[in-house]
Amino acid sequence: MPLELLLILVIGGIAAIALLLHLTGRSDLRVLGEAQAREAWLRQFPESPIADLTLAKDGHAALIQTADDSAELGLVWSFGADTVARFLADAKLSPCKQGLHLRLADFSAPKVHLHLSQPEAMLWQAMIEAASAPQPQMQNQPPAQEV
Amino acid sequence: MDAVSFPDVTQLAVPIFIAAILGEFLWIALKGRGGRYETRDAVTSLIMGAGSVASGIVLGFIAWGFFMVLWEITPLDLGTSIGVIVLCFVLDDLRYYWVHRFGHRIRWVWASHVNHHSSQHYNLTTALRQTWTGTFTFMMVVRAPLVLLGFHPALVLFVGGINLVYQFWIHTEAIGKMPRWFEAVMNTPSHHRAHHGRNPRYLDCNYAGVFIIWDKMFGTFVPEQENDPVDYGLVYNIATFNPLRVAFHEWVAIYHDVTQPGLSLKERLLYALAPPGYSHDGSRDTSDTIKAKHLARQPQDSGTPGF
Repeated sequence: MPLELLLILVIGGIAAIALLLHLTGRSDLRVLGEAQAREAWLRQFPESPIADLTLAKDGHAALIQTADDSAELGLVWSFGADTVARFLADAKLSPCKQGLHLRLADFSAPKVHLHLSQPEAMLWQAMIEAASAPQPQMQNQPPAQEV
Repeated sequence: MDAVSFPDVTQLAVPIFIAAILGEFLWIALKGRGGRYETRDAVTSLIMGAGSVASGIVLGFIAWGFFMVLWEITPLDLGTSIGVIVLCFVLDDLRYYWVHRFGHRIRWVWASHVNHHSSQHYNLTTALRQTWTGTFTFMMVVRAPLVLLGFHPALVLFVGGINLVYQFWIHTEAIGKMPRWFEAVMNTPSHHRAHHGRNPRYLDCNYAGVFIIWDKMFGTFVPEQENDPVDYGLVYNIATFNPLRVAFHEWVAIYHDVTQPGLSLKERLLYALAPPGYSHDGSRDTSDTIKAKHLARQPQDSGTPGF
């Protein structure tokens, strides 16, 4: 097949399929309720049970306080029609107009935009910063092991 | 007999791929079942497919040059009769089985193959979510015996192309089960759905390209279970639609692991060559430990397919 024809077919085909999917509503982000957010977290981290869950008002993300020994904070969020989840240990946080912007130290999950109202954004920021702040060491307590 | 040439079937099949994707989407939209489509997921898969073809055009000369060197060396020439083409197709499918198995059990090869499993959807666009970095896995060496046995390199690549085109249609939820005799011999949508599952049961199963008999022969066959619906994607799903990140994320992860301070040479090599999930301190899970942990939580699954 001539390269020119192949290029037309490939570019035209991708554009046509993208347009068709978008116009038929296949670009919508998944909306999570508490039960779905819980299920989505445990789908990714079945060994990290949930102690507390804070769902964003738009249903596109939830902060997860885990109940295991590490008690780490995690995030589950809508990814197209699906979900993904990550722990937030190395997250860099910055407020933005729509809510919060998170940069993760993960090449396969580099950033997350959280659409939050201002009071919501302040609460989430405080929770994330509190979780990432260094914990005071008790005397005679062994140093935490690196995971 | 160096003037042998065969058509590039994967390029010729492009119009069929596009028509079939539109057909599958319309079927799902009209029937309200048989799979899911999402715009950015589908576009990412299609760009990965286009990039894979481009990568083949740019880097294909490396494998071709390697095969032609072998062709110069070998004293054997089986010709291109129909019988030889059929024999080559079957043997190449056996070659595909092993390359695919290495692709899931050797992290260096997994780094190339992982992108094919990186969608949480399973539709005909997923079939086209192909690697850009296959050349760097050096898996072309697994084709070397075919050339040394007297199959012309052009024939070997031709049957490999037919193999890939066959695998396109099995990436669908729109087809349940094929007739029993077909399910027994051939790779089917049902068998391949199981292969794309991230459920512990379905990890590292059904590596077949065309003939499922290889999995049955080598003990890796797991039939799709009605009571364990397939959850598509990776054990640790990626959160990006950026094709560059999809193509290279596992290579970047290997680089970070191999170059971390304080490791022995053996540990560095194992980060590149051991099964995905290896870690020098046991802090990560391989498919074996994932299955073991699942059985600890769900002991009633012990002895069922995949466990």
